[in-house]
Amino acid sequence: MELNPCTKHKVVRQAARDFAEGELAPIAAEIDREARFPSEVMAKMRPLGYFGLQAPPEFGGAGLDTISYAIVMEELSRVSAGVGLCLTVHNSVAVYPLTAFGSPEQKKRLLPDLTSGARIGAFCLTEAGAGSDATAVETSAAPVEGGFLLNGAKIFVSNGGVLGLALIFAKVEGQDPRKAASVFLVERERPGLAVGEREDLMGMRCNPVTSLFLEDCRLPAANLLGRVGDGMRIGLATLDTGRLGIAAQAVGIAQAAFEAALKYVKERHQFGKPLAALPTIQNYLAEMKTKIEAGRLLVYRACDLKDRRAPFSGEAAMAKLFCSAAAREVANLAVQIHGGSGYSREYDVERYYREAKVTEIYEGTSEIQKMVIARSLLGAG
Amino acid sequence: MRVVAFVKQVPAAAELPWDPKTGQLRRWLAPGMMNPACRSALEAALRLKEATGCDLTAVSMGPASAEEVLREALALGADRAFLLNDPLLAGADTPATSYTLACAVKAVCPEFALLFLGTMTTDSETGQVGPHLAEELNLPAVFGVESLELKGRELLVIRERDGYEEELSLPLPALVTIAPRGFPPRHVPLTGVEPAFAQGELVRLSAEDLRVDPERVGMKGSAARIRRVYPQQRRGRAELIQGGPKKAAAELLGRFGERMSGLGGRGLAPQGPRPGEEQS
Repeated sequence: MELNPCTKHKVVRQAARDFAEGELAPIAAEIDREARFPSEVMAKMRPLGYFGLQAPPEFGGAGLDTISYAIVMEELSRVSAGVGLCLTVHNSVAVYPLTAFGSPEQKKRLLPDLTSGARIGAFCLTEAGAGSDATAVETSAAPVEGGFLLNGAKIFVSNGGVLGLALIFAKVEGQDPRKAASVFLVERERPGLAVGEREDLMGMRCNPVTSLFLEDCRLPAANLLGRVGDGMRIGLATLDTGRLGIAAQAVGIAQAAFEAALKYVKERHQFGKPLAALPTIQNYLAEMKTKIEAGRLLVYRACDLKDRRAPFSGEAAMAKLFCSAAAREVANLAVQIHGGSGYSREYDVERYYREAKVTEIYEGTSEIQKMVIARSLLGAG
Repeated sequence: MRVVAFVKQVPAAAELPWDPKTGQLRRWLAPGMMNPACRSALEAALRLKEATGCDLTAVSMGPASAEEVLREALALGADRAFLLNDPLLAGADTPATSYTLACAVKAVCPEFALLFLGTMTTDSETGQVGPHLAEELNLPAVFGVESLELKGRELLVIRERDGYEEELSLPLPALVTIAPRGFPPRHVPLTGVEPAFAQGELVRLSAEDLRVDPERVGMKGSAARIRRVYPQQRRGRAELIQGGPKKAAAELLGRFGERMSGLGGRGLAPQGPRPGEEQS
């Protein structure tokens, strides 16, 4: 196993860092404060391959490996985690399942619009009564002539406000409940699909997270992803991939918080010397850096397994569990080091603190990650 | 038509780590990046390629890690890339570098029409390699170009000098160094990364491949030695003006107001109490 970054990964990191620092850094605080989706920056990303990071080149994708994908997520989230969220959701839980489970016809019809960013994707599993327990989903798909009729309501849909294609997790009526879960491809313009109000969230505020309503939304059979009953299989594989993106995002947020703290301790003087000279501060810095480096290796290890087509579910869960906690802890220390200034919106660390928290919640809470890890150790039981 | 863009990898660090003993950069201590002016030179070459369909070769001299900037050039659209990498070439001063680059041009692209370089690099800031290379190859050259246009076999360029714009024309083959201001570089497309790593597009060349005179390259061929690099002594000193905003502003203007008003125009005269007046 190669532990040093290869030339390709250095080039990918440099490209993503240049973009993030050049285009996102000047507006990152503003789009968070104003809860504004930066369409103008997203438009610049479209021709550069950010919307099809791992999709095959024949469908307009960049065809990158999973470590490259993680590096891009890390670098974008280091500057704006809300933009990172848009891209990780789009790439890992919309483009990926369509690439992995879509029919040749579905890929030809829908992938080019996704990889070009003409349509932004979203994955819709969570409902008022269902989140971590996917079996409790109530959105229904009634078989009708030529297709399905969808009804239900989804919540906390990342990218909801800029949606182009929704992957809807629903139960097909009339099936054995254990074999009913299925995934449907619903284009934004389908009659019967409505986007709800934007959620007022603690962090990731530039991302338009919304609810979604399906009311007699009629779909052709060609918009069923995989087969009826494939929902759990697609959902689990998709979430495994999504977790890599969130773990990488957490590393990026932690890295940003660490860099801000490192800069601050050199500039800020107390007791006649820079904060950096204080042993307590040095301990904090050492803890922060160690957690980030350990987390980064966990992410790359899980990505490498995925690229080798080896099982990676447990490793992805470990990476997300560890990195999300590390991001919260590192951001917390960054705020602490900044003192009163860290609690002010004048400094970016309070944003990192808010952004870090949700990485312990979405795409499976930390508690769920532990269940996944235990399952990888003990079997499905 | 074939053109060549030269790109250099420089340390991506604000404070460059120098070795006080050798006077050379300890490059391995900082990650590398493409020199900003080289990115603009590459941008100018890419625009010419888009306008004319010319063939673009990227060349870099440096350590093995300089492969990164050449892969970047390939991802951006260069057709091929050559890395001049040999311990014999290391430690070159600007004439030795220019001689080596001239040998590379003769070896890999002797039929070139135009050579693109950045005006200078952030790690040495001499701005000498472009002019030296033009001398080595006996080419017409313009330095600090901000815009360019090709008309047949004539190159029309504009550069800014002392507040004036100069329009110049030169016959091909020619050499230009590019000022970053006129050619802000595009972002590296991630869609270009995998193709950039396709085999066969990056060729490593040794001193022997280049048929250089060993006496004219690397440390051996360099007359210039950097004796010492050290941070500038700070002559100024910072002073904190105490008191509330009004008092501090009045104090500042009291000291510098006359000199500042000549530059700043209206609005600089103190609105509050004059210096020395009582403050609450």
